[in-house]
Amino acid sequence: MELTRAAQLPVIEYEGLTPEENAELRRGGVLLHSLEQVKAWARSNSLWPLTFGLACCAIEMMGTGASHYDLDRFGIIFRASPRQADVMIVAGTVTKKMAPLLRRLYEQMAEPKWVVSMGVCATAGGPYVRSYSVLKGVDQVVPVDVYIPGCPPSPPALIYGLNLLQEKIRRQARSRQVTGA
Amino acid sequence: MNEEPRSGTDRPASGDAVAGGVDQPATESASEAGHSAPATPRPAKATEGTARTTGAARPAATGTARAAGAAVAAKKAPPPPDPRVEAAKAKAEQVRLALEAELGDGVVEETGAAHLTPMVRVRAADWARAVATLKTHPDWQLNYLEAMAGTDYLAQGYLEVVVYLQSIQLGHFICLKTRTDRNQPELPSLVPVHPGANWEEREIYDLLGVHFSGHPDLRRIMLWDEFTGHPLRKDYNAWDDTDDPAAPAGSAAAAAHPDGTGDNPVHR
Amino acid sequence: MSLIDEKDQVRTEEMLLNVGPQHPSTHGVFRLVVKISGETILDAEPVIGYLHRGTEKLAENLQYTQIIPYTDRLDYLAAMLNNYALCHTVEQALGLEIPERAEYLRVIVMEMNRIASHLLFIGTYLLDLGAMSPFLYVFAEREQIVQMFNEICGARLTYNYMRIGGVKWDAPPGWLDKVRAFVPHMRERLKMYDDLITGNEIFLNRVRGIGKYDTETALAHGMSGINLRCTGLAWDLRRKKPYSLYDRFDFSIPVGQNGDCFDRYYLHLLEMRESLKIIEQALEQIPDSGPVLGKVPKLIRVPAGEYYSGIEGARGELGFYIVSDGKDKPYRLKIRKPSFLNLQLLPQLLRGQNMANLIAILGAVDIVLGEVDA
Repeated sequence: MELTRAAQLPVIEYEGLTPEENAELRRGGVLLHSLEQVKAWARSNSLWPLTFGLACCAIEMMGTGASHYDLDRFGIIFRASPRQADVMIVAGTVTKKMAPLLRRLYEQMAEPKWVVSMGVCATAGGPYVRSYSVLKGVDQVVPVDVYIPGCPPSPPALIYGLNLLQEKIRRQARSRQVTGA
Repeated sequence: MNEEPRSGTDRPASGDAVAGGVDQPATESASEAGHSAPATPRPAKATEGTARTTGAARPAATGTARAAGAAVAAKKAPPPPDPRVEAAKAKAEQVRLALEAELGDGVVEETGAAHLTPMVRVRAADWARAVATLKTHPDWQLNYLEAMAGTDYLAQGYLEVVVYLQSIQLGHFICLKTRTDRNQPELPSLVPVHPGANWEEREIYDLLGVHFSGHPDLRRIMLWDEFTGHPLRKDYNAWDDTDDPAAPAGSAAAAAHPDGTGDNPVHR
Repeated sequence: MSLIDEKDQVRTEEMLLNVGPQHPSTHGVFRLVVKISGETILDAEPVIGYLHRGTEKLAENLQYTQIIPYTDRLDYLAAMLNNYALCHTVEQALGLEIPERAEYLRVIVMEMNRIASHLLFIGTYLLDLGAMSPFLYVFAEREQIVQMFNEICGARLTYNYMRIGGVKWDAPPGWLDKVRAFVPHMRERLKMYDDLITGNEIFLNRVRGIGKYDTETALAHGMSGINLRCTGLAWDLRRKKPYSLYDRFDFSIPVGQNGDCFDRYYLHLLEMRESLKIIEQALEQIPDSGPVLGKVPKLIRVPAGEYYSGIEGARGELGFYIVSDGKDKPYRLKIRKPSFLNLQLLPQLLRGQNMANLIAILGAVDIVLGEVDA
């Protein structure tokens, strides 16, 4: 392999593609950058969360989705099946009994997927941090993108958190993942 | 009950507040001679009469106040027993008579009052029979199981199970309780009498470890099957069990624990 | 394998169906393992505990005032009632006198919370049965109540408003007038809900005569609240064991006739009307000013003994059993959870039913998993 300047540049690895596909793109000198951003724009404006109400926070999540706060205006529509969802709002206390099921539901969701931890219980155990049966934070079982504090967070807080997630999705598309050559 | 010396109830309320009352014997228990009841962990019935005046009887200057003059002595004079507590105790006696007429002597170990409710403590072996008797007894008809609870008395070495029974028709409201050994807790199940006790007993089995013989479906209800220990016991320590918090064994996600392996590369 | 068996019947096999714990109609994390043959339910086994948070154990290490926030999170749809149930038990034990204004404020917020809770029941129940619009309607009214709670105690869902001996804050200026204006508005809306839902043919076909049981069964299974009253027994603790100020108000106890899902739905609607009546009377009687927190020692020590008292919660009899050893923390605290007991009858109700009725029966029990699992 000859050491041209191109080989010294950082290699762009695109999400969701296999290494072979990435290699082919590099060989062909194809940039997917703007398309990624288009995709991210579309994705961030049609987040379909899984109705994953666990406890008290679920009521505020329902309240956010209902008439007064109307999450639909952000393109956020609750789905009952993990297969149709791409963001999981963990709303409420995650117990140790529930944790494996939560993990399984997360795995059933199609890529790309994001997780929002709503409320202090899901974030770190909250008031139940000293309980024998409560998981101390949902980030022990699934990777979390946005944490929303509050017990429970008010609907505006949830909306702000989801807006942050949309921002994150768009920004992720602008940046690129850099690995060694 | 009436001939019993009531020295226990005459104790000044301030004394109880200081001592915490844990060590005091059950002075008021109308125990049978054969059943020397172990000391109650709290002078439950002893302080009933003073319950309403607790706010006034705060132990401001505990030691010196006792030696003070007549005015203080008058202030410290034992309050008259609450008539509602007395009525409850009298009613508990009636329940005792009804139970003994049906099930023989010795079935009732103690009578008293749980706050304002008549309290009858029955022998563990007769637990289900006593509840069944009171359910069908024409004078009582305690047909509604209002609440059921178990308590662990670590220092005294027993577990206590309490039911609050109620008669929808007659308006009675009775507290029945029984005790069982802490190391081998076993009680007859109440499910044949009150089907509503089903889940309550499962919960007590789950969290306190009381084995209810004759229960149709005695399994853990709140915690998962592999859980070790009984959390509501006073000597339970959450750090004793070394199980993996995220994955009860045998579950599908046990293999996919996020220790890095098998995790999603998108979120790296 | 052919789909038709020897007798020319469609071949069916027994099948295990897992409903939940993540299911939009289980109102939380409730799991139901259903054995079905074709469309008929042969057996059902509820599995609970997915939200078991160990409140009772945590309470043993908390002072009485510190437990109040935890009661908020039991039945999170009616947190005010939970607050009151705990405070009431401790106040009974201490023999405290509650200032009159505080007690009236308590009644007002409790009944408002009952309305909010029943509204949510109607919305979610209809959503379960496939009607979307009632859900959107009820949340508009619920939001008004929640905003008023936000003004009086600074929280929308977990209020932590009551204290042992009274309430934490007096109503802000003009708050009572807002409630006064809300009552007729709500009454009008209730009429609208009645017109919208109750006569709907599709709805009636789904709920009438479904999930029936009689008073004997309900009593034997320890049911309470609307689940008991739908069988025709007028058992309401606000009347049967009057607590707080409920003996001062004129209201009736609606009871059902058939003990079916329709009765359970309709009683929710009727009870909201009674709650409005109570709020209206309380607003007339409430003293204009006065203390809202009685004389309570700084450190609350409950005299040694055991105490139980229950109140009429939004879902049934909500009781607290406290064993005290004279310290400032309970030795044992047990919660009598109404929806935990109401749920027990479910397998019996489901057996032999059509699969489509599962959600109708389960929804009508009106469970809140935070309370079932505690």
